[in-house]
Amino acid sequence: MTTSPLVKKQRNPVRAALSKIVIYIVLGLWAATTIFPFLWVLGNSFKERKFILSETFAIPTGDMFTTSNYQTAFDRIPIFTAYRNSLVISGAVTVFVIIIAGLCAYGLARYSFKGRRLLHSIVLAAMMFPAFATIIPVYRMEFQWGIANTHSLPLTWLSIILPQVAGNISFAVIVLMGYIRSLPIDLEEAAFLEGYGVTRIFFRIIMPLARPSFATVGIFTFLWSYNDLFTQLFFLRYEKFYSITRLLNMISSQEGTNYGLLCSAVVLVVVPVLIVYILLQKNIVKGLTAGAIKG
Amino acid sequence: MKNHNSMIFKKKGPLLLFLVPAFAFLAVYLFYPFVLNIWNSFQDIGGLGQAPAGMNDPWYKNYTDMATDPVMHTAILNTLLIMLCTILFQVGIALVLALMVDGIRVGNQFFRTVYFFPIIISATALGLMFNMVFLYDGGMVNELLHSMGLISKNIDWKDQSHWFFTMTAPVMWQYVGFYFVIIVTGLNNISPDIYEAAEIDGASAMQRIFRIKLPLLHNTLMTCLVLAITGALKVFDLPWTMFPNGIPLNASWLTGTYMYKQTLGGAQNVDYGSAISILIVVLGVVISQVANAIFKEKDY
Amino acid sequence: MKRKFALLLALVMCIGLLAACGGDSGSSAPASTGGDNPAPSDNPVELTVVTSYGQEDGNRGIYEESYKAWEAATGNTVHDSSSMSNEEWKAQVLSDFEAGSEPDVLFYFAFADGDPLVNGGKVVPIDEIRAEFPDYASNMDDARIPASTADGKKYVVPTTGIWEGLFCNNVVLAEAGVTAPTVDTTWDEFLEMCQKVKDAGYTPIAVSLASVPHYWFEFLIMNKGGFADHLQMPTESEAARTAWIEGLEGFRQLYELGYLPDNTLTNTDDEAVLMMAEDKAAFLIDGSWKVGWFKSNANSDNYSVTYVPGNSVRSADEIIGGASMGYMITRKAWDDPDKRAAAVSFIEHMTSDDVVSRMSANNLGTNALKNSPAITDFPDKISETAYQMATGAAKQSGAVQDLAAVDARNELFTNDIPQIAAGQMTAEEAVDKFIAAYNG
Repeated sequence: MTTSPLVKKQRNPVRAALSKIVIYIVLGLWAATTIFPFLWVLGNSFKERKFILSETFAIPTGDMFTTSNYQTAFDRIPIFTAYRNSLVISGAVTVFVIIIAGLCAYGLARYSFKGRRLLHSIVLAAMMFPAFATIIPVYRMEFQWGIANTHSLPLTWLSIILPQVAGNISFAVIVLMGYIRSLPIDLEEAAFLEGYGVTRIFFRIIMPLARPSFATVGIFTFLWSYNDLFTQLFFLRYEKFYSITRLLNMISSQEGTNYGLLCSAVVLVVVPVLIVYILLQKNIVKGLTAGAIKG
Repeated sequence: MKNHNSMIFKKKGPLLLFLVPAFAFLAVYLFYPFVLNIWNSFQDIGGLGQAPAGMNDPWYKNYTDMATDPVMHTAILNTLLIMLCTILFQVGIALVLALMVDGIRVGNQFFRTVYFFPIIISATALGLMFNMVFLYDGGMVNELLHSMGLISKNIDWKDQSHWFFTMTAPVMWQYVGFYFVIIVTGLNNISPDIYEAAEIDGASAMQRIFRIKLPLLHNTLMTCLVLAITGALKVFDLPWTMFPNGIPLNASWLTGTYMYKQTLGGAQNVDYGSAISILIVVLGVVISQVANAIFKEKDY
Repeated sequence: MKRKFALLLALVMCIGLLAACGGDSGSSAPASTGGDNPAPSDNPVELTVVTSYGQEDGNRGIYEESYKAWEAATGNTVHDSSSMSNEEWKAQVLSDFEAGSEPDVLFYFAFADGDPLVNGGKVVPIDEIRAEFPDYASNMDDARIPASTADGKKYVVPTTGIWEGLFCNNVVLAEAGVTAPTVDTTWDEFLEMCQKVKDAGYTPIAVSLASVPHYWFEFLIMNKGGFADHLQMPTESEAARTAWIEGLEGFRQLYELGYLPDNTLTNTDDEAVLMMAEDKAAFLIDGSWKVGWFKSNANSDNYSVTYVPGNSVRSADEIIGGASMGYMITRKAWDDPDKRAAAVSFIEHMTSDDVVSRMSANNLGTNALKNSPAITDFPDKISETAYQMATGAAKQSGAVQDLAAVDARNELFTNDIPQIAAGQMTAEEAVDKFIAAYNG
């Protein structure tokens, strides 16, 4: 950079302001497309059923407004048990994926060894196995081990956590690998000279340095585990074990056209994820400053 | 490649610790079932969960069927088109948005949060919503066109001349936020020192994008490319909710939806579905490796 | 070796998980971690039950009440794992049997979908149960208990059955100057009605050929082949094959006459049915389960249910109906001396006159009871006409599509019928394709 013969020129303030305005318009338009559906779902969750089709894009006011959709959801089902199950399952999946995939990504990114490309292909391939191609053998295997389809809560948790961890590892490895390779190696070398072992380098240097990327992976892992209705349908058999997604799928499908209930179900499912995202997203930004200070 | 010569990574012992947990998981939960899946593709199986009724005759029957199945050809062609759109529009729009958000101070946090919204709403709910948007009678788009006097008769947005747009647009829109988050993370990785250096050099905003940000985003964009390729091959839930069973008249099949049809979508042909899933994996690995070879990942 | 390693890994993860849970959810994780469930004591008995009475079923309330009453009366426990019937659910049930983790009592299909269970000897025929418990299902009329398509024996004890009929929107019909069809209306008269409705600016028939042409299929075929031979597959006789071809051509006729919705090749079933509620369409063929939908989504006094018009081949009061599902005892539970009597007692309770007639009254479904109490009180016109139609029917036949293997029928319905209507495939090609799939 330093050798490039760039001529210093005075910025034109009018042009800069104009381009700012254009940028904000573009960003605002896209934001509108993403906020709108969310508001649509939120609005309809407070509407009487009959207004959802006829007045689908209106704001729920007056006699259109109702909280009955939420009352139905809360009355009929043990919603807090379901939240707990969801948080335990998806939280555990996220923690395991971050550690296991982080280790793997570091190994693949930094070591050179025979078969590295092959392992990389294996990770890639694993990302494309559709869940409906693997679920039956996985279920049988776990049933033989005695962890699937039991009446025990911890075992039921375990039976769904394990396949979900496996299902999210390869995505996490791909993303983390790309990020770790972009990190300058100097810090690791400095630490090595100070006598750090390679595992210690991973936990003390790489994990903090790559925190934004770990946070990203964590968000998506949590999200996919949480929303993964298909696996949950197979492994969560009894109502007391249901996760929130599984539970609300059950009540919202009670009447296929009860769109109000469906919308309230979507809101109840989405809120925890939104909280997790906002919490972790702060981390992405913090990761930047932390990395910068240490770097 | 300098890091590979680094002293730290000379001893290969710790590598086992790094790799074994992940690959053990993959082996037990994905590859073992998938090997069974390969085996299944040679057998005669009805619905998912049923026992095989013996071997296919000839054993590779599903693979020859795939080669001659016109619906399969439609599915592959559509999927490749979606893949192209994914790379151009999903990653493209995400990159533009990420660069824009990176360049502003006010509202930065706000945009990062709301761009993520579409991903957290489940595909079923989104499918329902887009069905209402594109509804034939009283849908948002048709109502809008009516009120502007542009049409006198409703447009069937799912018919043979409109389906590709109606199916692709929601998928594109939904996953822009996904790539946006990944690219923003990558941008955060660029050290402020570099910008400061550029600032001193007097580089304009455009120059900073093309000379600093894009080259340093290379690995992140590679990751996005690979995810886009594999994602397109797998895309399933939103298209299936809006375009079940290849409507209109078998035009809209994708590899993901066609495989679903074989296993759980009513066709009760698990062995054929297994063969398709193998094709999906093979296509995914091959195309990603080709992409990898063209745009090599870089170490820093 | 791989297995052992996986097991070890699972164990390690299990411990790790429980440690993590302690932090996540405080005291909620139970202390016992060994993975050993306490062995069930001899008495009382725990029964695992799988049914399609998921939360979304209209009779879920009665189902739940009834099994809880049985639990209270016997001191036994029911582990209920019910879920709406769909392809995922079917796959789960079948894979449970394959893995050996099947339930003790099952509410499942008598016809094609249930064939793998019968073929695998996984469930116990009623006759075998009666040898030991002579009163089993004695309150049912045996002639109306559906027999398995796999071996002709009877396995399931049904609760309520379904019927299919013609739903009419009387507001639209009045606008078009038409009165709803009766048992005497002929097919040709019905087509004239459709023309009048169309001329008045409405859609005569609400149907989604793209997703649910199933009910029209049954009646179009029966109008060509007649009631007596309705359950004959086109593979069995040339007459049945011809009936199917002529019946399927009916789809193209209706499509070309413009009696179907403009977007019938791309719409959803919900969209089509909604046309009835929004007074945009006049006729709909649907089943007993749809009455409840009209009650909660439309003014149910504006609708009536009547017979699908017939012709010289089929009299209009020959309808599609009956039970296709019922309770079964699995071989595993039957062979378990602790569970055998409990499973029998459970099914007897769940199919008692009281429970079944309450379910029938609730969803206006038919049943197989010897003594079914008549219903006299109706909340609205749709319920009244529906009940009259169902009880007034001269004859009921099962749906022929239930006898066909799922794959063959799925291809016909989701793929071929829209193409026949659009003129991209002839009915003959479709039937021959079906025959090939059915034999293959």
